[in-house]
Amino acid sequence: MDKNSIWIGEKDLVRDEAFLETVEQEFAGGDILENSEGLDYTQSNRRDFLKFLGFGLGAATVAAGCDIPIKRAIPYVIKPDEIVPGVATYYASSYVVGGDYCPILVKCREGRPIKVEGNDLSSITKGGTSARVQASVLSLYDTNRYRSPLKKSENGFEAISWNKLDTEVKEALSTAKNVRLVSNTILSPTAKNAIEEFISAYPSSQWISYDPVSSAAILDANEMSYGQAVIPSYHFDKADVIVSFNADFLGTWISPVEYAKAYSKNRIVNADNPKMSRHIQVESHMSMTGSNADNRVLIKPSELGQAIAYLHGILSDGSSSAALNDKAKSALDRVAQELKSASGNSLVISASNNPYEQVLVNHMNEILGNYGSTISMSDASMQRQGNEKNLEALINEMNGGRIDAVVMLDTNPAYDSSSASKFAEALSKVGTKVAVHYQPNETSVLCDYVAPCNHFLESWGDVEAKKGHYSLVQPTIGPLFDTRQTEQSILVWASSANLNADSDQPYMDYLKSNWKSNLFVDQSEYLSFNKFWDSALHDGVLSHGSHNETAIPFSGDVAMAKSKVSYPSSSELEVVFFETANMGNGQFSSNPWLQEMPDPVARTTWGNYLAVPVAFDGNKRFVGLNDLEDGDMVELTIGSESFNVPVIKQFGMAPGTVALALGYGRTEAGKCGTGVGVNVNNCITKLEGLSQYYSTEVSVSRKKGKEDHFSCVQYHHTFGVKAEKNGEMINADEAALGNAYGVTGYQGSLVERSIMFTSTLSGLGESLKDKKERRDEYEHLNQATLYPFEEYSEEKYSQGHYWGMHVDLNACIGCNACTVACMAENNVPVVGKREVSRHHEMTWLRIDRYYFGSAENPNVVYQPMMCQHCDNAPCENVCPVNATNHSSEGLNQMAYNRCVGTRYCANNCPYKVRRFNWLDYTTADIFPANQPTLSGEEIPFGADNLTRMVLNPDVTVRSRGVIEKCSFCVQRIQEGKLSSKSEGRRLVDADVRTACQTACPTGAITFGDRNNKQGELYKKFENPLNFISLEEVNVRSSVNYTMKVVNRDESLEA
Amino acid sequence: MSHHVSSIREPLVQGHKSYHDITEDLVSPTERAPGMAWKVGFAISVSLLSFGVFCILWTIWHGIGTWNLNRTIGWGWDITNFVWWIGIGHAGTLISAILLLFRQKWRTGVNRAAEAMTIFAVICAALFPGIHVGRAWVVFYFFPYPNTRGPLWPNFNSPLLWDLFAISTYFIVSFLFWYTGLVPDFATVRDRAKGLRRKIYNVLSFGWTGSAKHWQRWESLCLILAGIATPLVLSVHTIVSFDFATSVIPGWHTTIFPPYFVAGAIFSGFAMVLTLMIVTRKVLHLEQYITIGHIESMNKVILVTGTIVGVAYLTELFVAWYSGYVYEQFAFFNRAVGPYWWAYFGMMFCNVVSPQIFWFRKMRRSVAVTFFISIVINIGMWFERFVIIGTTLARDYLPSSWSYYSPSWVEIGIFLGTLGIFFTLYLLFTRVAPVVAIAEIKSILKSAGDQYTGPDAVHSSTEHVEEQAHD
Repeated sequence: MDKNSIWIGEKDLVRDEAFLETVEQEFAGGDILENSEGLDYTQSNRRDFLKFLGFGLGAATVAAGCDIPIKRAIPYVIKPDEIVPGVATYYASSYVVGGDYCPILVKCREGRPIKVEGNDLSSITKGGTSARVQASVLSLYDTNRYRSPLKKSENGFEAISWNKLDTEVKEALSTAKNVRLVSNTILSPTAKNAIEEFISAYPSSQWISYDPVSSAAILDANEMSYGQAVIPSYHFDKADVIVSFNADFLGTWISPVEYAKAYSKNRIVNADNPKMSRHIQVESHMSMTGSNADNRVLIKPSELGQAIAYLHGILSDGSSSAALNDKAKSALDRVAQELKSASGNSLVISASNNPYEQVLVNHMNEILGNYGSTISMSDASMQRQGNEKNLEALINEMNGGRIDAVVMLDTNPAYDSSSASKFAEALSKVGTKVAVHYQPNETSVLCDYVAPCNHFLESWGDVEAKKGHYSLVQPTIGPLFDTRQTEQSILVWASSANLNADSDQPYMDYLKSNWKSNLFVDQSEYLSFNKFWDSALHDGVLSHGSHNETAIPFSGDVAMAKSKVSYPSSSELEVVFFETANMGNGQFSSNPWLQEMPDPVARTTWGNYLAVPVAFDGNKRFVGLNDLEDGDMVELTIGSESFNVPVIKQFGMAPGTVALALGYGRTEAGKCGTGVGVNVNNCITKLEGLSQYYSTEVSVSRKKGKEDHFSCVQYHHTFGVKAEKNGEMINADEAALGNAYGVTGYQGSLVERSIMFTSTLSGLGESLKDKKERRDEYEHLNQATLYPFEEYSEEKYSQGHYWGMHVDLNACIGCNACTVACMAENNVPVVGKREVSRHHEMTWLRIDRYYFGSAENPNVVYQPMMCQHCDNAPCENVCPVNATNHSSEGLNQMAYNRCVGTRYCANNCPYKVRRFNWLDYTTADIFPANQPTLSGEEIPFGADNLTRMVLNPDVTVRSRGVIEKCSFCVQRIQEGKLSSKSEGRRLVDADVRTACQTACPTGAITFGDRNNKQGELYKKFENPLNFISLEEVNVRSSVNYTMKVVNRDESLEA
Repeated sequence: MSHHVSSIREPLVQGHKSYHDITEDLVSPTERAPGMAWKVGFAISVSLLSFGVFCILWTIWHGIGTWNLNRTIGWGWDITNFVWWIGIGHAGTLISAILLLFRQKWRTGVNRAAEAMTIFAVICAALFPGIHVGRAWVVFYFFPYPNTRGPLWPNFNSPLLWDLFAISTYFIVSFLFWYTGLVPDFATVRDRAKGLRRKIYNVLSFGWTGSAKHWQRWESLCLILAGIATPLVLSVHTIVSFDFATSVIPGWHTTIFPPYFVAGAIFSGFAMVLTLMIVTRKVLHLEQYITIGHIESMNKVILVTGTIVGVAYLTELFVAWYSGYVYEQFAFFNRAVGPYWWAYFGMMFCNVVSPQIFWFRKMRRSVAVTFFISIVINIGMWFERFVIIGTTLARDYLPSSWSYYSPSWVEIGIFLGTLGIFFTLYLLFTRVAPVVAIAEIKSILKSAGDQYTGPDAVHSSTEHVEEQAHD
């Protein structure tokens, strides 16, 4: 071997044969295929390897080819100027559904309206909202909407084009001899213009309006008394004594948001100068308004006229007689004194639909000198304009075959009028029926054509809710479907010359020109119309003209009115029909947020429950009518109709009275409203053509089984009500808890809870002293710790923000606007009736309702209950995985991703505000098997992309198996912090307002920074009425409540 | 044997057993085909187990919403069953560890089966924390392992985490103790076996040769494990009771809970041991090893612990009244006369009243009465846990949120499933291992066998015995 060559090891050096052979080969170890004894056991060679590879690849390809959901996110090609992704834009608009009105701000994210807030600039509602307003954004994304024009054919409806529809409708209208437009109250002056144009185009036509729940008698009475068919403006803030005959003015009557705002002004108690109005409700069933009253005078529904007449008699003549129960009489005697002593600062209202009774009410206000102070006519309300007598006349005309065409303007007389079935029958005799509807209802399905209209969030419009008070409706999103707004349809059919059909937004132009020629002319502030328009559009509201109140002389015929008040029936049982804050008369049935919102008083959801009176048996039970219990099914017979309804035992009902809500039992209300509850519209009686919302021909059977899904969110209703036992007042609440044993009370263990403090106005001083004593004791107990909270909190929270909330229980009227607002803001899922019946409701904020005082005629306290963000939170230390923890700003936070779902935190929460995702309520699972449906629909609620458009992108949608709860709207806190930071200033309380706070019509909820000594919250935390719920548990709640004060006049109860 | 045995002390092994007889009696059940009773029992158990597995899968697939728990009552049958099974699991360790340290020889008759029962009960119990959560697929968050999330540790303040450690420790120690005891017995089985069976038992016995060194080490290990296990008997249920005691819920927030839970656990554990032993001794003809004397001893424990539990119940009532704390008062008022009054009275009757029958010797020594009462106590202790969990949660601070709860078929199914798991494992155990510890029984034969001690001692029955007796 050449000694200069390179050698590898000893074998190379000695030129070993075997070694040299291996060196020759490319691969060490020989040919892996030909010479592969070592691999033989695998039985596979290169070819097999390729086969396996091929199969594997093929299988993977096939598997990968399975349906993988593709979610498209399309970026803006040209970004609109006003949209910054992640930043919300707000547009002023107005919520209008028939006569329901609320000026609003619409929060839009990336072009989607996702939330509705009140408009603070409004002089009417002053920023308040209601549950209906809060829920209205969901109806925009209702899967049940009409999506294109339809024409009825043999196989149901088929889609047609707008052109075809317009041609055919116009043809039908032009040949028709008699045309009728039917609507509910229309608040829009421009829409009324359009109707006028329509009428002038088809001179044989007439416009008829009615309201689902009628206030026609007030219009008639004011016509008789003052020559004006209007509803006067009521100023509850100026009234020291309010007497309401059956008017649910805080919940449903005419303009509840406006009234609630004004009412609460005189109800919020200042401990230094305790003063509040006295509210006396004369009614038959416990209404939401009645539940807020200081005193309630219980009468049977048929006694209403006599009660009004009796009070009127005392006020006008000094003495009176009437066919009325004695208790009510003596109470009304006292009421008359109260009213007299508050002459000029009192208010008498009534929801009676008998015009003569309303004339007496007007006269009472006249005697008391309330006109000009608590009642004004110059800014009268337009919110109820309908009269059901017109509808009755139309039915007769249709039956007589005199009508050739009707146009229904998003109205539903085939369901919500008292002559629903007669109307449906008569409608079939009309040649051409055109429905201008938003979604199918009982009336639209009977029509030949459907010209679908827009949601108000897709529409232009204006509103004159009160004389001289205007507001605008502007679209916040383009029409989602092939729909056209009502006014435009009317103008197109009228072949209006003023409508420029070629314009991008023809009705906006029409609206603008109408404003230009009317409102703009009457003002002097703006010189150019564009500035005027922009300012009005920006503010959303506009007050116009002067409101000099001129006294109008009362010209009603009191004697005649007195002779025409209704007389009580001798029937032993009567039923009263009422409108609920969530359902109206069925206009809101297809909105699941409202269906799931508990009734403020009965706390029931998803259906109407027959409220039956309850009485203490003098020993140990609260006995319902016919010995009925909550959730029992009964057969209810009203006149010739009979219904199977579930029962709820209701405190505060007049004896011999049952009550059932209107607005349920819809047959065409989409997947969420159809078949929920029973429809009693056909049982409404008539008096001189006006609907009377009660019936005296009623009977209730004994128990006929149990309801399948008794969906009441509160099982225990009382908080220490008193009742008589053997002549002695006992704590009936506790006695009734002893079940079969007849244990009467147990050391006050139910009533001496620190959940709630109540007082009467006259005894406020005493109550405050007592409360202070108790709170001092709790504080003392809480000092007994190794870790003094003060030291700890000083260190932890003195820097930066320290969030807290204050809830004024005297302002809270229990309307549940906050509950719905919270659902909207925080993507809280709807779970449906079955799940609610299993106590699986997901609401982060609920309003607990307790009866207290006398069992016979109790007072009510509402307590909004949300996460208390305890600084010594029992939920936090028990979580094994740290999924819930405390922020340095005093917030109790949830990390959903970390949550395993042991529910230990929920068990250990004294306030029971933590909510667990029992099933896949948000339809986030990949397995559809887990998604509960609301009413057997194919796609579960919330699973479709349309409904999901309402979701707030700032808030995580929670999956199955995790706990969730109120976050104090942490996304809003973050937003407020960022905006104040970017503006380089200190954060003030107004920067962060929680969803419940902005929704509240009465300002009961205040959120803010406890460290901000100038802030609103700081001041409210100093209120001597404050208490902390369950203070002695030492969880250090961040929420303060005020003591509930009632201005009860005990002499009324004697 | 070194120490004196009183002649009036009942012999613990009866029937004049020779060492060989013992081996024969105890090993033969693993060698012969199972009898009809076993087959029927096994079929039922496996059916229950299968149904339980189905219900568990159903729960995981659909969600906890298939159970009837609600926003007020977050724990129901799940945690009731958990605590019940953990309680049952207490007798094994008590018998094997504490009674070993106290030199209670009668434990040898029942310790093997009791320990097995403990392990199976803990398996059943451990199932519940795993499946009762909303997202069973992330329960690994419980474990403190280094991770890339920070690292993010579990919350060491949470009693649920303490539970995890307590139960896993308890399971491991109990299992080791049980298995250690089994090693020489497996060797005995191996020595009699052939073929594959022999191989398997050889592995299971770790190649035990029976040398003196093996025995010496084995005994040391048993003693050490007994030492470790002893505090566990007290700690496990103490920590389980912390789940409740550290909360703020009236009726849970009670300092009496640890001793009360431990007493209750021993009480229920012994009841379950009796239930099982009475059946086992009958089916496997072990009456001479698990004697009436054994049953009587356990009945005495039951009487004592049952009475302790009764005192605890009354103490709770007294404290509620004496505290002047309205929520506490109401919690107990509600237990007794609220909507779940039947559970409270069921608990009181089963746990406090029924064991008092054991003041009578005749009752203590009656197999039928004992069996009946043991079942009653098992039910009563289940009620106790339900009263503590369900009734308390149903009505706590805010009357607005009070609710009611009854289980869904899924929850009942899972409970039946755990019974299935328990009995399936126990029945398999009787087929593969000697249900009475052979080595330990043999160790007490001279001091407690009836041919050596007691009134029936016959000192000259056989030459073999004679020989043994005199060395």
